Amino acid sequence: MFCEKAVELVRELHRMSDGQLPAFNEDGIRQVLEEMKALYEQNQSDVNEAKTEGKSELIPSIKFRHCCLLRNQRCITAYLYDRLLRIRALRWEYGSVLPTTIRFHMCAEEVEWFNQYKKSLASYMRSLGGEEGLDITQDMKPPKSLYIEVRCLKDHGEFEIDDGTVILLKKNSQHFLPRWKCEQLIRQGVLEHVIS
Amino acid sequence: MDPSEVEFLAEKETVKVIPNFSLDKIYLIGGDLGPFNPGLPVDVPVWLALNLKQRQKCRIVPPEWMDADKLEEIREQERKEDAFSPVPSCHYMELTKLLLNHAADDIPRADEIRTLVKDIWDTRIAKLRLSADRFVGQQEAHARLDNLTLMEINTTRDFLLDSLNSMHKLRANLQPGKSQDY
Amino acid sequence: MDTRSYMPVPPGVGTEENVFSLDDILLSQERLPCRTESVFPGLGFVDKSSDSRHIPEGTKMEIPLWLAKGLYERKRRVISVELPRVYREGWRTVFGADANVVDLHTMGPYYYGLGSQMLHFDSPENSEIAQCVLQTFIGRFRRTMDSSQNAYNEDTSVLVEKLDCLERALFRAGQSGLNAFQLWEKGLASHLTASSLVTNYRKRKLADLQA
Repeated sequence: MFCEKAVELVRELHRMSDGQLPAFNEDGIRQVLEEMKALYEQNQSDVNEAKTEGKSELIPSIKFRHCCLLRNQRCITAYLYDRLLRIRALRWEYGSVLPTTIRFHMCAEEVEWFNQYKKSLASYMRSLGGEEGLDITQDMKPPKSLYIEVRCLKDHGEFEIDDGTVILLKKNSQHFLPRWKCEQLIRQGVLEHVIS
Repeated sequence: MDPSEVEFLAEKETVKVIPNFSLDKIYLIGGDLGPFNPGLPVDVPVWLALNLKQRQKCRIVPPEWMDADKLEEIREQERKEDAFSPVPSCHYMELTKLLLNHAADDIPRADEIRTLVKDIWDTRIAKLRLSADRFVGQQEAHARLDNLTLMEINTTRDFLLDSLNSMHKLRANLQPGKSQDY
Repeated sequence: MDTRSYMPVPPGVGTEENVFSLDDILLSQERLPCRTESVFPGLGFVDKSSDSRHIPEGTKMEIPLWLAKGLYERKRRVISVELPRVYREGWRTVFGADANVVDLHTMGPYYYGLGSQMLHFDSPENSEIAQCVLQTFIGRFRRTMDSSQNAYNEDTSVLVEKLDCLERALFRAGQSGLNAFQLWEKGLASHLTASSLVTNYRKRKLADLQA
């Protein structure tokens, strides 16, 4: 049956319903495009035959293939679009620098799209709240205090805070830090928020 | 909305505190605070009251309704009526939690209050579900949600809206339309 | 509860599909019993049970919903579509008696979605189908609601076992509201946590390593 490969692409994303980004399935896409090319060519020749030789009995099959073409198109666009939604979410979950393992899962155009999205988000945030801009990816929950207690879950190296002091984020060390500085690192699983 | 956001809104409610320090009036965008004089009650937003309390700068005067006898009456009323009774504060749940967690020593019979408020909440949530079921069962088009608080609505909002949307679409099936998808 | 940044395109529910919804694409993959009302020249290979070059008129075969919708036309009929069993009168009577006892996952799993989609094919039973699908939803609503709003911190797999896909989505919506509230009650709502995307990604990597 036609369109099996295209639906497989969709299933691949549907299985990861939490929003993880699987590797870009270049091979799958290529196979769908090949099938579409074959369908299109077969239809072209049938349409010509139907026209020149008046073979209207070919119409049901032409229509059949045409449905398959549209179906393939829908699956591929849905696949690409859903991936963009996931990639956009990565900016909010991981920050502007993605782990290399995740970058490897994107195709060149997706990396480009991510960079563009990053840029427009950054210039939007710069335009907010006067001179300094406003980081809208911070304070996703209403803050209770300016400083919070955090524990390091892994070695992260040196880290500079507001006043220019540099502290060493070493595994299992505990610190009292400005909340806005930590939020991203907590989301990334580098720090853990300790509540007393 | 996340419940922490609802709580954030509740922190704008005012509460009376008795400060143990002096400070002139502070002018803020959200309104003026103070002046503060030792022993003189003053109205402040809950977020400030809790902050002062944590630093042992004040005693909090519980809101009038936060009283075991009054709450017991409210609980009985709530259990008796089919409809939602008026609540003493539109943030009763959040304020109870905030004040009891941070200033239990300023509130007489704190444990009883905790239990009573929880009972009131449970009774109201049970009613909310009952009325949601009736609403769906009888395919009503509108409902009165008088006296419900933001936190109560918030716990069931997504579920209820998604359900009603689905029901609406299934009902629209009864009037055949036209569409074409691939 | 952590804020989710990834929001997939929701399914259309009802007669309209959402073109980009992954759920709807999988729904429209459901197979329907059909009969060809015309010859399909050169497409014999599609029907695996025969080795003819064409699909002859009168062939009974199962085709996916999307294809059935695409080929179906009132004026120039090239296929006719039969109702899947679960929407026929026999089952409608069962649903009418007590919709709660039916395992809609095994019978579906897109009971409501597919039922709504079936209305595209002018069956004389359409209005009964639409009525039955709606009444089933209403009849099962209380159970979906109660189970999703009562179950806290327990294994929910038994609760969702017999729910259709739409009901499962509602169940999840109810659960996330409940969980968020309970977390707040325990004083954990302002606790900052790692993104679930990050933790799940790690879990997967670990599982891959162990495999």
